[in-house]
Amino acid sequence: MIVTESWYLIVSALLFAIGATGLLVRRNPLVMFMCVELMLNAVNISFVAFSTALQDLAGQTAVFFVLVVAAAEVVVGLSIVVAVMRRRPSATVDDLAELKG
Amino acid sequence: MFAAAAFPILPALIITPLITVAVLMLIPANRNSELKLAALVGTTITGMMSIWMLYAFEIADDGFQFAVNRVWLEELGLSWNLGVDGISLFLVVLTGILFPIAITATEPHHDPKQYYIWLTLLMSGSMGVFIALDLLLFFLFFEIVLVPMYFLIGGWGHGNRIHAALKFFLYTMAGSALMLVGIVSVAFLSQDATGGLTFDVVQLAEAQALSQTAQRLVFGSFALAFAVKVPLFPLHTWLPDAHTEAPTAGSVILAGVMLKLGTYGYLRFGIYLFPQAAHDLAWIFLTLGVIGIVYGAAVATMQRDLKRLVAYSSVAHLGFIALGMFVLNTQGIQGAVFQMVNHGISTGALFILVGWVYERRHTREIAALGGLQKSAPIMAGVFTLVMLSSIGLPGLNGFVGEFLILLGGFQGARWWTVIAVTGVILAALYLLWAYQRVFHGTPTEENASMPDLRLSEGLAILPLLVLIVFLGVYPKPMLERIEPAVERLVVHVEANVDGFEEPGPEQLPAEPATADDLTHTLEEAEAEAEAKEEAESLGGEG
Amino acid sequence: MSGTFVTLVAAEIERPSIDWHAIAPELILLGGGALVTVIDLIWLERVRKLIPTLTSLVFLVALIPVITLWADGSGLPRGLWIIDENVPATGVWEGAFVVDNYSLVLKGLFLLSAYVIVLLSTNYMSEGDYYDSEYYQLIAASVLGMLVMSSSRDLISIFVALELVSIPAYLMAAWRKRDLKSNEAGLKYMLMGVFASAILLYGMSLLYGIAGSTLLSDIAAAIDIGESRPVITLGIVFTIIGFGFKVSAVPFHTWAPDTYEGAPTPLTAFLAVASKAAGFVALINVVIVALPTQANVVEPFIWVLAAITMTVGNLIALRQTNLVRMLAYSGVAQAGYMLAPLAVYDGISDRATSAVVTYLVIYAAMNLGAFAVVIIAARKTRSAELSSYGGMFNYAPGLTLAMTIFLFSLAGIPPVGGWWAKFEVFRVLTEGNRTSGIALAVIAAVNSVIAAFYYLNIAKQMWFLPSPDGDNSRIAIPPALLAAVGLTVAATIVSGVLPGVVSDMTDFVNVAAGQ
Repeated sequence: MIVTESWYLIVSALLFAIGATGLLVRRNPLVMFMCVELMLNAVNISFVAFSTALQDLAGQTAVFFVLVVAAAEVVVGLSIVVAVMRRRPSATVDDLAELKG
Repeated sequence: MFAAAAFPILPALIITPLITVAVLMLIPANRNSELKLAALVGTTITGMMSIWMLYAFEIADDGFQFAVNRVWLEELGLSWNLGVDGISLFLVVLTGILFPIAITATEPHHDPKQYYIWLTLLMSGSMGVFIALDLLLFFLFFEIVLVPMYFLIGGWGHGNRIHAALKFFLYTMAGSALMLVGIVSVAFLSQDATGGLTFDVVQLAEAQALSQTAQRLVFGSFALAFAVKVPLFPLHTWLPDAHTEAPTAGSVILAGVMLKLGTYGYLRFGIYLFPQAAHDLAWIFLTLGVIGIVYGAAVATMQRDLKRLVAYSSVAHLGFIALGMFVLNTQGIQGAVFQMVNHGISTGALFILVGWVYERRHTREIAALGGLQKSAPIMAGVFTLVMLSSIGLPGLNGFVGEFLILLGGFQGARWWTVIAVTGVILAALYLLWAYQRVFHGTPTEENASMPDLRLSEGLAILPLLVLIVFLGVYPKPMLERIEPAVERLVVHVEANVDGFEEPGPEQLPAEPATADDLTHTLEEAEAEAEAKEEAESLGGEG
Repeated sequence: MSGTFVTLVAAEIERPSIDWHAIAPELILLGGGALVTVIDLIWLERVRKLIPTLTSLVFLVALIPVITLWADGSGLPRGLWIIDENVPATGVWEGAFVVDNYSLVLKGLFLLSAYVIVLLSTNYMSEGDYYDSEYYQLIAASVLGMLVMSSSRDLISIFVALELVSIPAYLMAAWRKRDLKSNEAGLKYMLMGVFASAILLYGMSLLYGIAGSTLLSDIAAAIDIGESRPVITLGIVFTIIGFGFKVSAVPFHTWAPDTYEGAPTPLTAFLAVASKAAGFVALINVVIVALPTQANVVEPFIWVLAAITMTVGNLIALRQTNLVRMLAYSGVAQAGYMLAPLAVYDGISDRATSAVVTYLVIYAAMNLGAFAVVIIAARKTRSAELSSYGGMFNYAPGLTLAMTIFLFSLAGIPPVGGWWAKFEVFRVLTEGNRTSGIALAVIAAVNSVIAAFYYLNIAKQMWFLPSPDGDNSRIAIPPALLAAVGLTVAATIVSGVLPGVVSDMTDFVNVAAGQ
């Protein structure tokens, strides 16, 4: 069986969908955060797959930027989650209802 | 006085009140009399300038005079394009006269500084509306005048003033919101015909580039804005509230000047820019006008509050004006313009009088008043004169306008006019009945001790009384100035509407309203109306 | 671009020289920001009072090359590299970074807004209990992202710029870290923001897959007019949704009110004005430069977004009793007006762009001003509840007048700025004489009346009602806040009375694409 780029794209789409679903369904901030990471990685796969298919390096360059930015986001995001957890241990997003959206 | 060509009189009309505002800002807030003096001087100078325009105005010229045109935003074709013709001239003068009178006649009961600032700002804006010949500029002024009025009603009004102010603001804004879309659309749709984007009313009107559907839609967006302002039934519901709760000066300006923004808008922008649509849809406005006449009069009859009664009488009067405009013939429109000024004078005076009664008695309930004639005979006399003018008694100004409207109406829209005539009778009914209840009878103790007019008050209202009589017996100077511009508008409508000819035979003299003609017709009508008048007052007393 | 990469590695290094002038604003901000950080690290407490001043100075210095670039308009558009006939090689990122009139106006807007934000923050931060030097450094970082954003013409640089704008903002939203509301504001903003970035990136990866390049102009060239494939549509829709979060377009606005209320108020002003503007800039760049051929997909989508954004934003704003939340929802509604020109950009993309930018400029002035008044008022009332504004005219007439000017401007009443912004939008909507445009104009017109209702409600509180606690003592206004109000009032009035001043700046030929 030949694994073409479209397989990778399908995997990427599935991962992205799983991540998005998880983000919308789960209520623990940490898990939600992990789901976002899943989505970002899906994007990376998609970039790399396209890059290979198109014989073009830009897609792979993009992946580096995404990785770096994602790392920055994790740092900031986790610090905020930690700040919240310190005040309200085991908080879920639903518990955060000081502000009514 | 001034050299007509050199002095930019129209910008001066807008700027003088603004300078007054600047002066007012410099005067400390507790110097009540200085503030009043400054406001009075500023508005009077503006008023004098507007009166001077009467003298400098070329009677035979049907175009725009004193024109000023400065480019404001070139790529938009937006400009400070100002000018007056016979239609706007007297509204400018009316604005110029009413503001000083409103300032003299009443005192704010708190924060005089702010009060005078808002009033003078309002004057600047009102002048701007009547002299702007650029659609966008007109729209700007049309919106700007809302702001001072909102603060005047909300800050110095009575009773439920905040609610009334908000209602006034939102109704007008809701009406005019679509007008901006309409304005931009008409400019773009005419772009090819006018050779570039322009908001110049004359160019747009000459171009007539809109398709029938587009014309109707855009006319609709304009008409809605003006209908709220006039106000036409059933968009009038803001008016009784705003008029009743506003301070006296606010009511005077609201009735005298701001309602005219709507009717003037119909003439200058609605009919002029969209003659075909105005002609096709005229029946709507005729109907709404006539409903307004009968409804306004009927509701006024039932009012317990004297000020509310006057407010509803405005609805009826403005209905007459709408009727006159949409007959689309010279007499009708001429009468409408004349009646706009009349209504400003007589209803303005009525509001001032009601304001004085309220200041003295702290009530406007008709039931609580009575027998005021005994304690305040001069006021009763003044009230009688103003009331008779409002009813349209021959020999006073109201008659001339109503007569011309009915004359035009019978030629162009007979059945509507027939119903409208009943409005004349109803007007006599509710005003005379109100007069009887307020001024006749035996006064209660409080009413018996009510002080009469002071000299200063008498002097304040005197110019209006003079105008009522003068325009009633000698309307020629005013009519001959209105005539050419109206004639031009009607010709424009005839030229741009397929198969439309000015209703009514051309048997009237080319100069229809010479003093002789009018006096002649006046005499005929006089006997009839007087008989009716007597019957009414007798019926009321019996 | 891939070609350049290979050339760079393989061949001997022959490259065109860098156009230092063109990237000077970014460099100054980067260097200045770093310098402020170093100064803070070395002298600590002793210089803490100076940090806000230093930061605002950095913004003003960065404004200088923006002005000189504008004055030297002949060379525009310019890029990262000086184009030289003698040096055939192209530099890396060629075309990804473009300096044109459009980006210069926006850079000026971002720097001036940032300056006002620093003015707003100075007293707020120094009087709070929170360590504050980093706050200013984060603002500088975020503004750097905005500057880069206005010049970005490449998917990757747009993404990096967007994250540079957002990540510091996540931190700042959660700034008052012992306050649960602020924590919540930061967390919600962060989660929604990251989610949006992921969606945006996925859309971008699809666009890259279609076009084979991340350069916006290449994407435009690769997609034929009206070409319709599900993958193109999906890429476009995902990208726009990603930006939709940033500009708080309904239904992606849910984070905005909570974040706005919980975050420190100056930061709220920053999010509502500068950060939102950055989102719009990104949207304009992508839509106008990369998708001129895809109006058939973009226009209906943005049309719907604009219509529901303005309507829902206004309707919810009507029910708010907290002024900050009301301003948040009004900001949502205003975003709807700003989206509107992009719903009819086909064939008139220059006009649509200048309408949006005009709106952004005027919106920045009036909204920053409104927030300045909220911050000043809160110094006395300790509240942003609407009722706490009662009777303000009695003890702060000047402030009341300023707020009234901002409110009438937001409502679009002439002669103050807002009417011109609205007018520009209406102009673009009706220009093409298309039913969709005129319908949207009618929706916008109806909405402006709804909006007037709640704006007037605030004015009513301030002018006509008595103060709730009867406390009519005056408010002491610190000079920084006074300067902020003065600047914004002046800008709001000038843009309304002399709209030519704004339109001269925003009347660009077009958004220059990178080559």
